[in-house]
Amino acid sequence: MNVLIIEDERALADEVELFLSKNNFICEVCYNGASASEKIAINLYDFILIDLGLPDYDGLDLLKEAKLNRPEAACIILTARAEVNDRIKGLDLGADDYLPKPFSLLELQSRMQAITRRKFGLVNQTVNLDGFIVNLTDRTITYMSNAVSAITKKEFDLIAYLILHKNRTLTRAQLSEHIWGSVVNDDYDSNFIDAHIKNIRKKLSAFAAADWLETVRGLGYRIKTNV
Amino acid sequence: MKLKTKLTLFNAISKLVIVTLFVLLLPSIIENINRNYTDDRLIKQKDKLLQIVREQGIKTYIEDGQSYGSYLPLKEEYISLDEVEPDYYADTIQNERRLVERDTIDYRILSHTFVAGKKNYLLEIGKSTETIGDTTGPLQTIAFLLLLGMIMLTIIADQVYSNYILAPLSRIIRTKLVGAKFPSFTTYSRIKTTTSDFQHLDLSIHKMIATIERAFQKEREFISNASHELMTPISIIQTKIENMFEQEDVADELKVRLLEMQRILNRLKSITKTLLLISQIENEQFLKEDEISLNDMLQELYEEISIRLQEKNIGFSIALTEDATLVNVNKFLLFNLLFNLVNNAIKYNKPDGAIIITGEPFKGGYRININDTGIGIAEDELPFIFNRFKKLKASLKQDSFGLGLPIVKSIADFHQIDVQVQSEQGVGSTFILSIPAKLLRA
Repeated sequence: MNVLIIEDERALADEVELFLSKNNFICEVCYNGASASEKIAINLYDFILIDLGLPDYDGLDLLKEAKLNRPEAACIILTARAEVNDRIKGLDLGADDYLPKPFSLLELQSRMQAITRRKFGLVNQTVNLDGFIVNLTDRTITYMSNAVSAITKKEFDLIAYLILHKNRTLTRAQLSEHIWGSVVNDDYDSNFIDAHIKNIRKKLSAFAAADWLETVRGLGYRIKTNV
Repeated sequence: MKLKTKLTLFNAISKLVIVTLFVLLLPSIIENINRNYTDDRLIKQKDKLLQIVREQGIKTYIEDGQSYGSYLPLKEEYISLDEVEPDYYADTIQNERRLVERDTIDYRILSHTFVAGKKNYLLEIGKSTETIGDTTGPLQTIAFLLLLGMIMLTIIADQVYSNYILAPLSRIIRTKLVGAKFPSFTTYSRIKTTTSDFQHLDLSIHKMIATIERAFQKEREFISNASHELMTPISIIQTKIENMFEQEDVADELKVRLLEMQRILNRLKSITKTLLLISQIENEQFLKEDEISLNDMLQELYEEISIRLQEKNIGFSIALTEDATLVNVNKFLLFNLLFNLVNNAIKYNKPDGAIIITGEPFKGGYRININDTGIGIAEDELPFIFNRFKKLKASLKQDSFGLGLPIVKSIADFHQIDVQVQSEQGVGSTFILSIPAKLLRA
C-alpha cells in the first residue's frame, strides 16, 4: 500500500516512514505543503497522512485537494493543534480519522488497519488462536462454539489490539494509551494492564489454556500466532 | 452602613444641631431686637415731645414749676417731666426699677435733659420690659416647630436626591463587581450617570478589569502555546523510542531502559495533555451540545474503573433517587470530571473501603454526592486542593502530579456546576456536585 506522509517536522516524518516501511507500506515523504500538493495531483495513494500545522500551507486545504483528486485515498489528520474545531472541520471535510500528537506509531497502524477493514468491507474478520475464535467485527470470542461471554469491553479492546500487532511485544504504556487514551487524568504511572491480563487469562482458562497470550518478562505482553 | 443612609443621617444631625443652637440663641436675639426697637421708639417719642416743647413752649406740660407725669392705665408706659438743677445732665437709655403707686415695675427708661425758658428739665420716658419680653416665648416655640418641619422636609428631599444621585454607584457595584464572573467578563457597558466621579469610577473599574483580563488571556495563551509546542518534540521522542523498541538487534536489557524512558515520556505527555485540556476548557473551545442520562454515564464510568476498584477491593454503589438527563453539556468533559473524582476516591481509599455515589434532585437542580471512606483531606489543605500542581501530603505517596482536581474544577466551572467538598481526616471525603437546573431536561 502506498502512503504519502506530509509532515514538516523531519525527525517525526522519518520515524513514521521507518515504522510504516517496516510494516510493508511503500512510503513517500513531503516536508512542505507545496510539494505535497504536487504529489497528490500526480501519484496514487492508499493513505495520505496530513499534518495540519504546515508552515507554507493550510493542512485543511491539502485535505480538500486530496479528497478532490484522490477520492480513493484514505486521509488521516495528524496534528498538534488539538483544537476541537479543527477536528470537526477535518472530519467534515472527509478525513477518515484524526490522530492528535503525540501519538503512538502502533495506534497509527491500528487506525490504518481499521480503515482498510472498513474500506474492503471485511464482514467477518476472525482470528483463530489455538481454538479460540476471535471475531474482530462482532467483538466476540468463542471456543468450540461456546461464547466466552465474561470478557468485558476493555478486555476485548486489549485482545484486539494485541491481535492487530500480533507477534510483537506491546509495552504496558502502549496498551494503556490505547485503552485509556480518551481519559485525561492525574496518574502518570498507575497501570492496570497486569490486572486486566490476569482477568482475561482467568476467564479464558475456564475453556482451555491460552498459552498464546504471552508475558514478555520485564517488557510487556504479546500474542503469538502463526496464522 | 450604606453611604446613602450615612449621608442622610449626617445631614439630619447637622441640621438638628444648627437649629437647636439657633433656637437656644433665639431669646437673646429677640431681646436684642426688642431692645433696639424699644430704644428707637423711645427716642422717637422723645424727639416728638421736644418738638412740641419747641413749638408750643414748656408750658404745655409744666406750669409754675410743677412736674408733669403721665401713665397708661396699666402702667406699662409712663412719661415724666421735671425741672432739675441747671448743671445736671443726662442722656441715657437704661433698665431701671421704679415704684409706681405701690407696684414695683421694671422699665426701660430714656433720660434726657434739655433747656427750655432758661431752665433745665429732665425728661423720662419709660416702657415696661415685661411687655417687651412678652413675645419671646411663643416666638421661640413657633420658630422651633417651623424649623423642625423644615428639617423633616429637607431630610426627605435629601433621601430622595441621594437615592437618585447614588443609583449609578449601586449599579456599578451590582453589575461590575458583584455579578461579574471572574475572569471572564462581558463587554464593557457604560453606566449612565452625569456624576463625573462615578464616570471615573466606572471607567477605572473597566480599565482594571481589562488589564486583569489581558493578563489571564496571556496566561491562557501561554499555556496553550507551550503545550502545543511541546506536543511535536514529545511525538518525535515517542516514535523514536517505539521504533528502537521494534529493532531486532536491541538487547532486552536495553529494551528495559527504553521502557523506562517511555514511562517517563508518558508522564510528560500526561502533564502536557492535561494542561492543554485545561487551557482548552478555559478558552471555551468545547461545545456543550450533548445530552446524556446520568445513570448511563455512571454505568460507563463503573466499567472504566472496575479494574481499579478490584485492585483495592473497594465497594462501589450508585444510588440515584431518580435519574437525570443532562442537556447542553459536553459528555467527554463530564465523563472526565466524574472519572477524576472517582479515581481520586479510589487512590486515596483504604483497601476494602467503599465509594458511595448518591444523587437527588433539589430545588434549583440536581445534586451528586461522591462519598469515600478514604484518608480524607487535612483541614488546612482544603482551600488549596483545586490549585494546579498543588501536591498535598497524601498525594505525594501516589503517582500524581496535582492536576486531577484542577481538571475537575475547570470542567465544573465550564458547565457552571458547583463543587463543594467535605472531609474528615481518617474518615473520608465527600465531593458534592450541584448541577444547575438549566443543564437538566425538565
